[in-house]
Amino acid sequence: MRRNKTLQFVILAAVLVIGGYAVFQSLFQTTAVMKAGNKPPEFRLLGLDGTAHDLSEYKGKPLILNFWGTWCPPCRAEMPALQSVYDRWKDKGVQLVGINLSEEKLTVQNFAREVGASFPILLDRNRQTEKKYGLKQYPTTFFIGADGKIQDIMIGGPLSENDIESRIAKLMNAKS
Amino acid sequence: MISNTKCECGHQNHIGTVLCEACGKPLIELPDDGQMPAEMRYDGVARRSQKANPSWIDRIWNFFSSVKVAVWLIILTLIGASLGTIYPQEDTFINLDDPAAYYKQNYGNFGVIYHALGLSRTYQSWWFIGLLVMIGTSLVICSLDRVLPLYRALAKQQVRKHLQFLTRQQVVYAGAVPGDQNTWLDGFAKQLKKKRYRIWRDGDALLAEKNRFSRWGPYINHIGLIIFLLAVLGRGIPAWHMDQYISIDDGQTVPIPGTNFFVKNEKFTVEYYTDAELPPTLKGSVRPKMFNTKATLYQCTAACDDPTRDPVLERVKTHDIQVNHPLAYKGLKLYQYDFSEQLRLISVSPVIVNKKTGEQFGPFKLPMRNPALTYQVGPYTLELKDKFMDFGLDEQGRPMTKSRDPNAPAFVFLIKGPDLSAGGEPYIYFPKQNDKVKFGQDVLNRAVADKLDIRVNAMKDVSFSEYTTFLNVRVDKAMPFIWTGAAIFMIGVVIGFYWQHRRIWLRFDGGTLTLGAHTNKNNFGLRNEVAAALNRTGIDVPAKSLDNRRKTH
Repeated sequence: MRRNKTLQFVILAAVLVIGGYAVFQSLFQTTAVMKAGNKPPEFRLLGLDGTAHDLSEYKGKPLILNFWGTWCPPCRAEMPALQSVYDRWKDKGVQLVGINLSEEKLTVQNFAREVGASFPILLDRNRQTEKKYGLKQYPTTFFIGADGKIQDIMIGGPLSENDIESRIAKLMNAKS
Repeated sequence: MISNTKCECGHQNHIGTVLCEACGKPLIELPDDGQMPAEMRYDGVARRSQKANPSWIDRIWNFFSSVKVAVWLIILTLIGASLGTIYPQEDTFINLDDPAAYYKQNYGNFGVIYHALGLSRTYQSWWFIGLLVMIGTSLVICSLDRVLPLYRALAKQQVRKHLQFLTRQQVVYAGAVPGDQNTWLDGFAKQLKKKRYRIWRDGDALLAEKNRFSRWGPYINHIGLIIFLLAVLGRGIPAWHMDQYISIDDGQTVPIPGTNFFVKNEKFTVEYYTDAELPPTLKGSVRPKMFNTKATLYQCTAACDDPTRDPVLERVKTHDIQVNHPLAYKGLKLYQYDFSEQLRLISVSPVIVNKKTGEQFGPFKLPMRNPALTYQVGPYTLELKDKFMDFGLDEQGRPMTKSRDPNAPAFVFLIKGPDLSAGGEPYIYFPKQNDKVKFGQDVLNRAVADKLDIRVNAMKDVSFSEYTTFLNVRVDKAMPFIWTGAAIFMIGVVIGFYWQHRRIWLRFDGGTLTLGAHTNKNNFGLRNEVAAALNRTGIDVPAKSLDNRRKTH
């Protein structure tokens, strides 16, 4: 009878572990589409500066991630607004990073120079990062808090300076 | 109420025992005349879980040990599974951007409710998986609870059974035997042996048994089901399951996300049915007969995660992917899914013509994706200054690219060379002839257009992609387990269905033979077997008359 008890216990424990894992998986299945509160997926991309950049190096400070392409008219249109917000906030601890949607470096460089965008720009390759972030429309801008969680997602554009400023205010509020 | 579980033969039975484990005497007195056939399920032994004072762990165990509960779980799962078939499931779409809108648009209010209830993801829902887990638990516990006592009961069977046990069987004969009792018994045993029965004798009592293994069929079947269920749940492990789609132009190499594999579409070909091959109703329509992607799989061996360098690729395998003939490598499978006809340049090898002298220089190879930044062609130096994949003009009239694909590629070079200014002169080059005309290359290049020309001499100098192929990339590590589970399941079904466990008991009381026989299925066959053996040993009795259940007189 002692052995029966152990067997019972082992089987019920196995059920709890396996079943619990399966049900847990189904409850917290992460879809590719990002939502506020999610942690942004990691990436490692080449910057226009010629070096590799990880998402982790932007940790600890509010970060604005803007996905854009030179072939997308609203992306092109919001570049000046992003640049002027960047100029205003870069010394106050807000980071702005543009991720280009898998175009060639030459094309991206020329466009950035043309519109006077000097904020850091990283180059996605083969649409991999864009897929990880589950982009559906361009541009898409993620506002990530100092805690490393997505606070706001702006899908589509062009964003005005006001749009960006109001979200930065939220990011800064959350920080203090 | 404490019931006495000690049998008159002296054997102490477990609580819940129906027939004495030793002599087979019914322990639960039946109210009427005792003619009713005995309850022979699990040989009348108690299930493991039947206990006097169950603890909380016993109570959970008992819940899952109940066949009634198992049946309800199965019914609920069936109902749940059928709900998932009302509208298409979300995961059957490749690109469903906004599922809520899709269901509303296509199925109206019911669609909205369907999606809101989560039925558009029925098979991934917590309650459906929860039901599967509970069925699995029930399978394990039900089986264990029954198979162990049954095994023990069948392993230590008593040859001499209680008279009531025999007369309560479904196949019964009682009467005198011709001649000497022992001689008859020997003859009868011989007849049964011929039918491949195993015989045990205890004085004037006899037990004949065959095909006991058939009783294990259902439990083998359950083991198969459990493996099957575990494999299905195993698909939830991220590394076990992948299902994604990639599109590749001819000649293009793309990474397979989530792996360190790359795949190159060497060449896609499609064959169409000729009109002669088509039935009259389809004549004139375009019907693909065969499509084939010649694909090469590469494995990244170095710099896979280093964006500053190109990954180092090592060829793994080349395969012609056709419908139902995927490229398979270590559990990774690439299936042909779709294709689209899309003429795109891969590279051109143009020459530079000095218009004054008529001299030709080159050719030089100019790929549409990731070209070099400088080219030295004869006396000319070409510096790539800008590049557009899909040339067009934006609202302000500035050149831009309209997409990321090389639909209308344009190259802006700074050319230095004979007759050109020392600092070089800009020159825009459209490799596609129709773009050259459409965008007015010669007008854009002004004076330089009179001095030189970049052109492709022959079609052999152009390489282009005619088609974009769509591949479905799959990993399903659960499949071998699913097949194993299914095979074991089938073996169990065959064992349980095609053989029958048959037992015949007999004893003499004052020279009168009493015979009882039991089987779990096909009573008809058992009656015939018993009747044949009786007939051959001098007892003339029709098989039908042995049927205890029909003895109403």
